[in-house]
Amino acid sequence: MTSLTFEDTEKRIRALLVRDFKLDPGGLTLDSRLDELGVDSIGMAELIFNVEDEFGLKLPDAAVQLSTFGEIVQFIHDAAADQRASAAPSSLAQGVNTST
Amino acid sequence: MKRVAVTGIGLVSPLGDDANSVFEAARIGRSSVHRLQIEGSHRLAAPLAATVEFDGTRHFEPPQFRLLDRVSQFAVVAARRAVADSGNELSDAERERAGVFVGTGMGGILSIDEGYQTLYGKNSDRIKPMMILQGMHNAPAAWIGIDNDWRGPNLTYSTACSSSSAAIGEAWLRLACGAMDIAIAGGSEAPLSLGSLKAWEAMHTLASEDASDASRSCKPFSRSRSGMVLGEGAAFVVLESWERALARGAAIHGELLGYGLTTDAGHIARPSVAGQAAAMSAALAAAGIAADEVDAINAHGTGTQANDVAETAAIKRVFGARAGRIPISATKALHGHLLGAAGALEFVLSLLALQRGVALPTMHLDVPDPDCDLDYVAGVARVGAAGRTMLSNSFAFGGTNAVLALRAVD
Repeated sequence: MTSLTFEDTEKRIRALLVRDFKLDPGGLTLDSRLDELGVDSIGMAELIFNVEDEFGLKLPDAAVQLSTFGEIVQFIHDAAADQRASAAPSSLAQGVNTST
Repeated sequence: MKRVAVTGIGLVSPLGDDANSVFEAARIGRSSVHRLQIEGSHRLAAPLAATVEFDGTRHFEPPQFRLLDRVSQFAVVAARRAVADSGNELSDAERERAGVFVGTGMGGILSIDEGYQTLYGKNSDRIKPMMILQGMHNAPAAWIGIDNDWRGPNLTYSTACSSSSAAIGEAWLRLACGAMDIAIAGGSEAPLSLGSLKAWEAMHTLASEDASDASRSCKPFSRSRSGMVLGEGAAFVVLESWERALARGAAIHGELLGYGLTTDAGHIARPSVAGQAAAMSAALAAAGIAADEVDAINAHGTGTQANDVAETAAIKRVFGARAGRIPISATKALHGHLLGAAGALEFVLSLLALQRGVALPTMHLDVPDPDCDLDYVAGVARVGAAGRTMLSNSFAFGGTNAVLALRAVD
C-alpha cells in the first residue's frame, strides 16, 4: 500500500469538488468554507459519499460536519492513514513471522 | 363561495409539451403508447408505456439536478410552464399565501428502485445519500414551492389514480372559501421502473400488446380491452380567484366550478358504482349545477375490465335516460395512465376541449363491450359537441373518487 501525501489528497478532493459541484478551482483555498461556496449539508453528504468511493474509505458521520476545505483534506488524509495503519499490523506481523 | 378561474396550463406529457400540440394529438387520435425499452423490459409480458421526451439537464443546473427524481423534474418544469402561461407576478405578501397542491401516486419510485437495486440486486451498501430526498412523495411539491418561492400551503395528495384530481379539488376548496387567492395544482408521475411495472403486471391490470399495432393496446370501453398502459408526465394549472384574474386582466382558460370527493369504503381495488356515482353527484352539488347542465364527460376510462363497466353504470345512475346522449371521452387510450398525474392531464384536456368546442375521441374502440353502451365518441373527434360544461372523472385503488366540474368562459 502506497502512502498518500497531503498534497495528493488535496488534489484528488479538489478534483471531486470541481467535477461534482462545479467549483472554481482558482477560488478554492484551504481556508475556503464549503458552505459559502454552495456545498450545503446535503452537498457534504454527497461529497463524503464520493470521497469514500474515490479513496476506498469508510468515514465516520462526523465528516459531514467539517467546514473548510483544509479541514476536510486533513480529516480524510488522517482517516486514510489510520485505515492503512489498522490494516498494517497483520502484514507487519506476517513480516516478523517470516523473518524468525 | 368565490368563483375560481384557471389562468395557466403547464404540461410535460406523452402527447407533447404545449397545450395546442397536446390537444391536436388528442383530437386526431395519435397514440403515444409504444413498446418500452428499459433495462429488463424483456422480462415484462407486454413492455408497453407512454413516455415523454424529456432531458432534465436542460432545465436544471447540476447541483440541483442530482437532487431531483424524474417525478420532481417533470413537476417543476410543468409548474413553471403553468405559471408562465398565467402571466403572474406575485408580490411578497401574495407569496405568503400562494399554495402548491400536488398529486402523485408513486412519488420518487425510480430513485427508490435504483437504491434497492444497489442494496439487494448488487448486494452493495453504497446507497446514495440523496435517496430519501429524491424518493419522498412530497418532493415534487416542495421543489415547486422552492422554484417559485410560493410559501403558503404546500400539500401532497396520494390517492392512487385520483391523486391529482384530489389535489386540484382541494385547492379549489381553499380558493372558493377565500383561504387562498392563488395556487398551482396538478400532478406528476414517473412510474416506469422495472420494479413498478412488474408489480402492476402481477396485479393483472396491464394491457396485452395489440397484435397489429402496439400503439392501439389500450382500448377503453372496447369488448377486446385487456387493461391499462402506464404513462409518465406531469400536468399543472394555475388556479386563482375570479376577481384576482379579472383585476389583473388575465386570460382565463375556464372556470373550475366544483369538486366531488367520495370514498367507496368497500373493496380496496374493485370499483363501486355507488361510490363513483356519488362523486359525480357531489361535484354537481358543489358546482351548483343540475345534471342536465353537463354537456360532456372525460371518463376515467382506464381500459380495465372492472373500471369501464362500473363507470358506465355510474354515469347511467347519475344522468338517467340522458346518459346515452352525453359524449364521453376516454383519452387514456392515447396518453396512457399517468396514475397520480392522470386526473390533472385529463382536466387540462377537458378545458381545451371546452375552449375549442370539440369532444375528444375515445380511440381503439372498434367493437364496444355490450355492457358499455353509452356514447364514447368512438374513433373520431366531434366538433361542436363538448358544450359549455364538463365533468372530469378520476377513480382509484383505495376507493377515493374525485370528480371535477368545469365550464368554458363565456
